[in-house]
Amino acid sequence: MRRKVPQFVCALFGILLFALYFSSHPLARALSQLVLVEYWQIIFAFTLLVGVVSFLKVNLKSIERGEDRPYRIVSLMGLLSMPIVAFFWGIKGGTPFMWIFENIQVPMQSTVFALLAFFVVSASFRGFRARSVSASVLLVSALLTLLARSDVGGLLSEHLPVVADWVRNNPSMSARRAILIGIGLGSVTTSLRVIVGIERTWLGGKQQ
Amino acid sequence: MKLESRHWTFFGLAVVVVIAMLSGFQPEITVSPDTLRMHEYIESLPEGSKLIISFDHEASSLPEIRPLAVALLRHAFSKNLRLIGIALLSEGTGVGYGLMQQVAAEYSKEYGVDYVYLGFKPQYIAAILSMGQSIPATFPEDYVGQPVDQLPLMTGVETYDDLAGVISVADGSLTTHWIEYGGGQYGVRVSAFGTAAMVTTYDPYLNSDQMYAMVGGLRGAAEYEKLIEIGGSGARGMLAQTCSHLYVILLIVIGNVLYFVSRRKGRSS
Repeated sequence: MRRKVPQFVCALFGILLFALYFSSHPLARALSQLVLVEYWQIIFAFTLLVGVVSFLKVNLKSIERGEDRPYRIVSLMGLLSMPIVAFFWGIKGGTPFMWIFENIQVPMQSTVFALLAFFVVSASFRGFRARSVSASVLLVSALLTLLARSDVGGLLSEHLPVVADWVRNNPSMSARRAILIGIGLGSVTTSLRVIVGIERTWLGGKQQ
Repeated sequence: MKLESRHWTFFGLAVVVVIAMLSGFQPEITVSPDTLRMHEYIESLPEGSKLIISFDHEASSLPEIRPLAVALLRHAFSKNLRLIGIALLSEGTGVGYGLMQQVAAEYSKEYGVDYVYLGFKPQYIAAILSMGQSIPATFPEDYVGQPVDQLPLMTGVETYDDLAGVISVADGSLTTHWIEYGGGQYGVRVSAFGTAAMVTTYDPYLNSDQMYAMVGGLRGAAEYEKLIEIGGSGARGMLAQTCSHLYVILLIVIGNVLYFVSRRKGRSS
């Protein structure tokens, strides 16, 4: 019963939303609006709650065990302080919430994101080697793109940006299209498997 | 701490970027056809056309997103377009509101008449589909809590049919959902200002006209700033980006030379 009810609800809403997507009937539109605006948001709120509770439990346990204690305390302080600040002063411009967001969260996240540039540089130096024919093709394509996307590409040769654009618009786009079609087919297959009840791993526990 | 080769490469990149930023030199920018298409699109819209600007990005990509968004907003406000700001990622909410207020002030635009900000709606797919059926029902209030039906700009805005298009300012794949659900189901014209890393992701959509136009990365921002003839942080950052690209190319060349030398030594010994 614990598995059959969620499976039934999942199949019902899967089929319903699939049908509503293709219907322009006013009743279908109204139902779709209700499911999308009201129900989906309620489900989202509950998933958020599950996430927060899980985060709290994991971190509190780790603090108890003494694992990475300072980092986890800072994480919990962040998790608790932001809702408190938002509750008392709101989240609009000029509030303490936005001050923390703009002066702590944005610089920290931008810093972490910027570190990627350093890792790319290090990885390029150590890993981008012409070890085989396919690695050489990748290497030449990368060099062409890098040159073309900087301003010196056109100065070295007027053909360089043209060649780089050809790489982007032909081999690169073909590969991207193949990936997109693969993702699309995979999504349809997985959705159908979930709706008809073949795929049940999302229910958790042992397969029955 | 023993310094390894990677530490020297990190140090080298930092030096290259700092020197480039301090030099103040701005390289000549060549405008790409993609950026030109976006510029022509905004130019072609009649005065008073209503556009959704969706801030679909996180705080981490702000150094790249901010110049793009500012260039777009400056162009749109200078053309007297009427902008409806929304955010489908929570972190873009405050950023989008701040940017719209800042650029609107430059052009003396009035909130509620020339632009509105409807704020954040969770669950982006649901939000995009729901807006196709009713924008006021999806966003009953704006970001500052005013009922949407009291905002003059929102008069007559019911669905995507009442808008000239949607421009997603994004750092990830969220624009894909605009294309698939907004464009696919409701036929709204979708364009994007995105980070450089996402440009190739959208090439198939651009090529098939599922997405109308795209401006990508710091280079795209610099190109757009050139087209609207207002300098910004895009052009300022281009030299640093160009120099770091050249630095990466240099490292790749050095790495390969060292690789072939060591391979030859290995064979001879």
